Amino acid sequence: MYFIEPFTFPFMARALAELAVLGALAGTVGVLILLRRLTFMTDALTHTVFPGVVIGYLLTGEGGIFWGALIAGALTAVLLTLLTRDRAVTEDTALAVLLTTFFAIGVVLVSHESGYTTDLTAFLFGRILTVTGQQLTQTLVVTVLVVAALAVLRRPLMARMFDPRGAQAAGYRIGLLDLVTNAIVAVVVVASVRAVGTVLVIALLIVPAAAARTVSDRLTVIVPVAAVLGALAGWAGLTISYDASVHHGLRLASGGTVVLVLIGLYLGALAATTAGRRLRAARRTA
Amino acid sequence: MIPALHLDGVGVAYGTTSALENIDGTVAPGEAVALIGPNGAGKSTLIKAILGLVPLSSGRVTVLGRAPAAARRDVAYVPQADTLDPEFPISVGQVVLMGRYRRIGWLRRPGAADRQAAGQALEQVGLADRARHRFGTLSGGQRQRVLLARAIAAEPHLLLLDEPFNGVDAVSEQALLDAIATLKKEGAAVVIATHDLALAHLACEEVCLLNRRQYGFGPTQATLTPERLRATYGGHALELRGDRVIVAHS
Repeated sequence: MYFIEPFTFPFMARALAELAVLGALAGTVGVLILLRRLTFMTDALTHTVFPGVVIGYLLTGEGGIFWGALIAGALTAVLLTLLTRDRAVTEDTALAVLLTTFFAIGVVLVSHESGYTTDLTAFLFGRILTVTGQQLTQTLVVTVLVVAALAVLRRPLMARMFDPRGAQAAGYRIGLLDLVTNAIVAVVVVASVRAVGTVLVIALLIVPAAAARTVSDRLTVIVPVAAVLGALAGWAGLTISYDASVHHGLRLASGGTVVLVLIGLYLGALAATTAGRRLRAARRTA
Repeated sequence: MIPALHLDGVGVAYGTTSALENIDGTVAPGEAVALIGPNGAGKSTLIKAILGLVPLSSGRVTVLGRAPAAARRDVAYVPQADTLDPEFPISVGQVVLMGRYRRIGWLRRPGAADRQAAGQALEQVGLADRARHRFGTLSGGQRQRVLLARAIAAEPHLLLLDEPFNGVDAVSEQALLDAIATLKKEGAAVVIATHDLALAHLACEEVCLLNRRQYGFGPTQATLTPERLRATYGGHALELRGDRVIVAHS
């Protein structure tokens, strides 16, 4: 009953569905981020979408957040490509400059408005409990599109991730593949921002994939495990925060709880693999 | 007979700095040529030019009678194994199957012919029993052999290898040489960028001496003279046991 009860309320059921779908999506794309070593770029994206979130909200309210973030994310991808094209600036420098510039614009815009702190909290940490049916549909559409793109591009992406020069030699268009990869990451960041906020998105993307990587050496195992861990953490985190607030009078932010559950799962996976390795080693020597 | 590779006054420049000037030469099917020269001589640049990945500032590269970009399907490239991430979650079998990706396409599942070609290629480099191991768990020499197997699985007419013998143990070296010899017998032309002169002697009929410009292109014995090597390396060359020449890196 514990894990089912909260979701008899429609708003909780929607939040659960949103977090579970997002968790699965972020877990899947997280594997791509980890293997391409795009963690820092992803972190930068989570910050550069911030002014988009704010402007979208200021112009058209809740519904504008998604589109504002999407435009800011696309702008980041384009600027990043332009800045690093001639190798005049290294990628990490370009990222750091973009990250802080965009984030500062967001902060200035928010502070300009009244109700500064409440809004800022919502943007930074998300508002999962107010997710609407329409937003849930948006997330589902994004998930279907991203998973389809990954399925179609799995071989070129794999070749590019493993051996960029070899992939180029084989005739794959690396620039185009990288652009698609950045776009996929940007779209997933944007889809997640509204629910868990700009600060916590990175955890949702990186931690399930990192945990899954400790469990297996095979991508056919890593990807589904990451997706399941992401969905599981979304569900468990929301349930725990609900239970704490309703039954124990303890207010736990849902986004933060989700991330802490993720970290718990990661440490669990790490401990399990280490123990497994020790056990096998002990058996060999015995 | 169409040459596997024809270089006609090839020059490459990065911006205003010239990386290669006036490289000429022809490689026939079944022949191997060693690109010899110090680090930064332009060996990798020449390989890129053959792959059609850098614009030429002058001259022309013809691969199997076609422009390089149009010949990629029949060209296989073997990178240095130690440039790849050993932590990457991929099995040896999957790496070799990658050589078939262009034939398999994006959506189709690998067919029996693809699996067979990959299996045979892995056998050819003596690692058939390692197919299920993770790529990164193999030794450096074994990884290099897996990458060669990936190239063999692509059934190339022209094979390009970038420093394939760097940090490779004796067993793997022999396996690499054997596999290269088999490919040549089947009619593939081979280009090996290396600074290992002894291996150039063992594997290649011809050498191309390179340091920005060409210091010689021709039969291995006749071309690898101490004078030419000294000119190429701009340093000291030692002569040992008649024809073995070792260059002291400055």
